[in-house]
Amino acid sequence: MITLLSITDLEKSYSAKKILNGVNLEIKKGETLGFIGANGAGKTTTLNIITGILDSENGKVEINGLTKEDGIEYKKQFFFIPDTINVFNNVSGFDWIRFLMNLYGNDDKERLGKYINRFGMQESIKKPMGSYSYGMMHKVSLIAAFTINPPIIIMDEPLNGLDPNAVLVFKGLIKQYVEMGGTVFFSTHLLDVAEKICNTVAILKEGKIILHDEIQNIIGESSLESTFMEAQVYEGKTSVN
Amino acid sequence: MNNFAVLAKKEFVQMVREFKVIWLPLVFIFLGITQPVVSYYLPSILEALGGGQGITIDPSMAAQKGGEVLASTLGSQFDQLGVMIIIVSMMGVVQSDKANGMLAFILTRPVTVGSYISGKIISNYLFVACSVALGYLVSYLYVVFLFTSVDFGDLIVALLFYLLWILFIVSFTTMISTVFNSQGIIALISIVFLLGCRIIVGLSPVIDNVNPASMSKHAMEVLILGTVNSQAVWGALAALAWTAVTILITNIWISKKKFNNE
Repeated sequence: MITLLSITDLEKSYSAKKILNGVNLEIKKGETLGFIGANGAGKTTTLNIITGILDSENGKVEINGLTKEDGIEYKKQFFFIPDTINVFNNVSGFDWIRFLMNLYGNDDKERLGKYINRFGMQESIKKPMGSYSYGMMHKVSLIAAFTINPPIIIMDEPLNGLDPNAVLVFKGLIKQYVEMGGTVFFSTHLLDVAEKICNTVAILKEGKIILHDEIQNIIGESSLESTFMEAQVYEGKTSVN
Repeated sequence: MNNFAVLAKKEFVQMVREFKVIWLPLVFIFLGITQPVVSYYLPSILEALGGGQGITIDPSMAAQKGGEVLASTLGSQFDQLGVMIIIVSMMGVVQSDKANGMLAFILTRPVTVGSYISGKIISNYLFVACSVALGYLVSYLYVVFLFTSVDFGDLIVALLFYLLWILFIVSFTTMISTVFNSQGIIALISIVFLLGCRIIVGLSPVIDNVNPASMSKHAMEVLILGTVNSQAVWGALAALAWTAVTILITNIWISKKKFNNE
């Protein structure tokens, strides 16, 4: 399979504390990679470096052969959904998605309507986003991501705040998106959901990837939760990094 | 629609939803009306309030020319309260985007720092310039009604000169809003610096040549004397050059410093 996103020797420190200590990771086209780690492991920092919010001290990130130096072309390769979603309270979800679509040069209204229906947002999409719950804001971001349809969707804790129904829709759409050639990379704490959605998992501990493999190879007869707990204790059990 | 247009449109929509499109023009209309009305009725006001005892009212006050009163609108109303109101309306232009994470969010989209800044500055400038022009036009109508007429050519030239000073105000406030994180500090620095620039106008011809605020003085001279000062071209170039410098600093700050206080 073709490598879509590659991270090589990523290092990052805050003050004297090393947050990322040589992260290496490859995501193939068509993969759904769950990025798992305890709080403070460096998941969000890694995603922020990939998306250009932060610069790394060392290392390289490439998406589809493009680096950050390629500017807009690089940014067009992904759609990033951050953990904290800040929006203009007096703007409707619909206007917000249209705004994002315009930034990506996408005008596929039909596709937009389809995803609004899939997430059951027909009524609320025209209401101001200030009236939305956290989960509804996530739904709006997901609708935008699926409508814009970039080569890879990168998400930081996308399942936070979603109701069970939205989680089901999310799982279904992720699978459909990947079947259509899309690639998904997301961090999560919800190991049971990651186990069902992801075909690949990477576990980050203290700024280093200690496990990265296909989900079946990692969990075997066990569960992702127990594997994760073991990996936290016995670092490098089946590390491929 | 390119990304600059998308971002500029977003700014306009924000201004509409925050009712800025209503209150800012109204403020400038009010300021524009104030100067001619107060100038015209000042003798009556003084007489009504103080009875006129012990006060000598210069009879020539009532004979002010229209151009002089309109120049006072720029020099007294717009350059003091007007500048402060522009600063207050713009102090959060980038700062609020930094504080709520919107800047980081926008810049992870296919958007360059240049499109982001130009979208902010051009949309805000167009809006502020329209508000100032509206207040100026209303002031002109009152001046013509209460005093004497002003040559239309002088009116337009003076407005264009004044709008160069406004351009610098908008770009400077945007730069300060990018560099600092507290709205109070942004307002304080912008007000002290910009009013300082305006106060020192006329102290030295050399300083005037590099002071963007001298465009306000040149605008007033056009209205009062009906001629363009030959030094105005230097003031105009200085205003444009300083505007370019502030935009450059804003661009570098966002590009290099990043936007989340790392």
